[in-house]
Amino acid sequence: MIDSSSIKQLAGHPFDRRDFLKVLGWSGAAVALSGCGNTSIENGKETVVSYVEAADYVIPGVAVYYNSTCAQCDAGCNINGRVREGRVLKLEGNAASAINRGKMCGLGQAGVQHHYNPDRVREPLLRKGDKGETISWDKAYALIAEKLNGVSGEQVAFLSGAVSGHLKVLLGNYLESLGSKNLYVYEAVAPAVQRAANKKAYGTEMPRFNINKAKVVLSFGADFLGSWVSPVHFSQQYAQFRKGVDGQRGVLVQVESKMTLTGANADRWLVVRPGTEGILALGIINALGASGVTLSGDVAAAVQGYDKARVSNDTGVSVEHLDKLVALLKERTPSLVLAGSAAEGYAHGSQNAAAINLLNQVLGNVGKTIEASASVPFPQMIPAKGNTAALKTLNDDLAAGKYKVLFTYATNPVFTAPGSMKFKANLDKAGFKVAFAHYLDETALEADLVLPLDSALEDWGTQVPEYMAEGAQINIQQPLMEKLHANTQGMGDILLTLVKQREADKYKDFADYYGYLRGSLLTIKGALGSGGTDDDTFWDETLTSGIIKLAGSAEQLSGNASAAGLQLPAAAAADAQYSFHLIPSVTAYLRDGRHTNQPWLQESPDPLTTIVWDSWVEIHPKKAAELGIVEGDVLEVSSRTGSIRAQAYLFPGIHPDAISIPLGRGHEALGRYAKGYGVNPFQILDAVFDQETGELALHETRVKISKVGQRIIVVKDEGAAGGKPEQRRIALSKSTDQVKLSEEV
Amino acid sequence: MHRFLRLSFMLMGLLVASGSYAADTQKPTLTTEDDLGPQVTQPIEFPHYRHAGLKNPDDPTNSDPSKGGMEIDCQYCHTYARRSAVAGIPPLQKCIGCHQNIESVRNKPRIVELFKYWDAKKAIPWKKVHDLPDFVRFNHERHIKRFVEQQNRPTQEACGYCHGDVKSMTVARRSKSLAMGWCASCHEKNHPVTAEGGTPIGNQAYWYKFQKPVVASSDGVVKAQGPNDCWHCHK
Repeated sequence: MIDSSSIKQLAGHPFDRRDFLKVLGWSGAAVALSGCGNTSIENGKETVVSYVEAADYVIPGVAVYYNSTCAQCDAGCNINGRVREGRVLKLEGNAASAINRGKMCGLGQAGVQHHYNPDRVREPLLRKGDKGETISWDKAYALIAEKLNGVSGEQVAFLSGAVSGHLKVLLGNYLESLGSKNLYVYEAVAPAVQRAANKKAYGTEMPRFNINKAKVVLSFGADFLGSWVSPVHFSQQYAQFRKGVDGQRGVLVQVESKMTLTGANADRWLVVRPGTEGILALGIINALGASGVTLSGDVAAAVQGYDKARVSNDTGVSVEHLDKLVALLKERTPSLVLAGSAAEGYAHGSQNAAAINLLNQVLGNVGKTIEASASVPFPQMIPAKGNTAALKTLNDDLAAGKYKVLFTYATNPVFTAPGSMKFKANLDKAGFKVAFAHYLDETALEADLVLPLDSALEDWGTQVPEYMAEGAQINIQQPLMEKLHANTQGMGDILLTLVKQREADKYKDFADYYGYLRGSLLTIKGALGSGGTDDDTFWDETLTSGIIKLAGSAEQLSGNASAAGLQLPAAAAADAQYSFHLIPSVTAYLRDGRHTNQPWLQESPDPLTTIVWDSWVEIHPKKAAELGIVEGDVLEVSSRTGSIRAQAYLFPGIHPDAISIPLGRGHEALGRYAKGYGVNPFQILDAVFDQETGELALHETRVKISKVGQRIIVVKDEGAAGGKPEQRRIALSKSTDQVKLSEEV
Repeated sequence: MHRFLRLSFMLMGLLVASGSYAADTQKPTLTTEDDLGPQVTQPIEFPHYRHAGLKNPDDPTNSDPSKGGMEIDCQYCHTYARRSAVAGIPPLQKCIGCHQNIESVRNKPRIVELFKYWDAKKAIPWKKVHDLPDFVRFNHERHIKRFVEQQNRPTQEACGYCHGDVKSMTVARRSKSLAMGWCASCHEKNHPVTAEGGTPIGNQAYWYKFQKPVVASSDGVVKAQGPNDCWHCHK
């Protein structure tokens, strides 16, 4: 019927479009029909496994719910897990929680992917050359005891992420039993400078911020809707703030060099030259004084030189905007001024934070929108905090070869330490490295012994949040399901076993960490306000609610921020060789990169750029045009410490003298969903530290950029309309009431 | 000429595609006729006829397994059916609960096999016989509530609408098509369900004959038959 010549002719004459579409439609329908007709009812293919013995309350297909605590970040949101057929399926917020009030963020939602992650470590592993050999727990414990034998307390160190509650108590007891005082708490992105500044200004490290009571919020780079301190709690306060106090809708002004999620939500977003936030704060105080607000003598003296013209010149904020801002702050009280990591990440970060806190003082916000927070009456349980200063000390000690045994838990410094620290090389000098780990991350890979941990949804624990929403609370963490892997252990159980190696007698009453936890909470039952109830009732109620709420003891706010010693440097001079400021941005979902192996987070489009599964370099479109850079150009970003390569993304929400790369990606380990995606800006951070606190100045690294000559397609969610500046846009050129959609799109 | 050739070439492709459809599908049936599924081999050949079958009036002691059953209610073992969307397979514990006291059959090969699983505390890997596609959510609880609890029909009749005459089988075998058209064949029939609050109805599900709005003559209440929307089953 069809001979070869006609096929040749066919090949020379492609189908016209209409014919092609007809055939496409018909064959599509045919495939659809054969694909999902009756044939998809299957018989005898799948196995239906029933229980051997079923508990009374277990009904297949009907879910049960348990309360626990989210472990994805330190905010301490209370969660409620849906469990069906013994498997945890979904996490939601616990409605009784004062912190998150039944809500939950995307990062928390992804907690199930931490639990079910296929790359979890399942067996204790002992280093044999480049490989890990599976050993038993007994052997592992014996090995630790052997390595600790004859080692003095000073030669042992424990590096941990933020810990609180009974785990912190037990950890402290263990180190005490070893005679060691070397507990280093390291969180790569922590508001450490702010804590110090708050302590100075208010007398407490973490007061309560009432965004909902403020009529104006002026935020200096505090991304409180995305990643700052307790974002779910602040998001709810923010909703109330927008509804308004006394019918007046709250106004949010965000001052930063790179737009954050919060900045994108602000009524007015002011771009500021990197590092000059403190100058702007002092300029505002000065202008407030000039407009009739009474300033105390020392404050007036401190802000004397900061007239509008100079401040505008230094910060890049126009005098007009400055005037409007001052008028707004004067007219609407109370207001709230927040200092975020963007203002604090400089060598003069503490000074910036102090200037911003001083502004709060001048505006009379202390005691109104900044209040004392309640604290848990058990000081041994409040969270152990720390930032890069702790890591720096450890790093120096490691470099000096001081430690024979080093434990690491819940932190990944090989990935997050600034490249200039050479932490990985120094880590090698520790004699015997034990990593308690969920995954083989970069730090665990360097260890000699890796001990696999239960996931946060399998383990027992208590957690005390650093930021207390209302009153004080102790959060209960309890298993939502049986362990997935037989040979993992809870961190509490491991510490208990280890401390029993040293002081068996003292802990002989506790068979496991659950018993320890129950016993300890029962002994303080009275202090927890349940003195009258019997033990079992108290325990059942505690596990049911997942929260122990306490009146707490309110700390007193001092509210006497002084201008003494406030010394801000002039705006940084341009660096001829390294002309850009590098802003390593903390994104809402990836934070410091410990959860990058949860694919939901990798595929969640970044709220501002909509990019997925990869890193990018944000650069201002004008600057990009100057340098001939278009979206997708691969750029080499070099600092004095190192260089990385990533795709360019033109982003109007950044200061032209700055570029920004998000933190969290660029893993060399951590499993299939993290390894090899994107780049790690921690690697190229210079060793510049805040002069007062000694914390890493995250934003102080200067870089230069160059095109490497390659261009790739940026994988992102947004369409061309908002993505390519050369194409037509709606929002930027006209106000919305003037837009005619039919003409624009 | 070329245009004709091109078209015929394309039609050939279409024929091949639709032919493959015809070859591996049955025509959707709109009746509750039997539609026998394949015989499924189970790890233990469970005799439904012995457990649920009718008693033999000539054999009051029920001694001859080939002649009579014990009339055990379906829900005695499939106890989750009235409580959950899924009927569930009884836990092994339930089998043993009775069989540890029935010495007379203890040495029968199937019971020996059963106790092997129990002693090893291992679950029996039964094969699914009524396995709906993952995009269909059938709810057992609603059907049992309606037929057994509200209308007082015998369990075996109610279960039998979809599962056939299981009491005469050894291991269960699918005997209805369980396709959507087959579901509709029942929901079309005259057993109206009051739509919630008598709200006006008539959306997509209507086109699949699931939802013919009916105004009852006596009280004027709008009634519909069965699911009110697609998502009742496809969620």
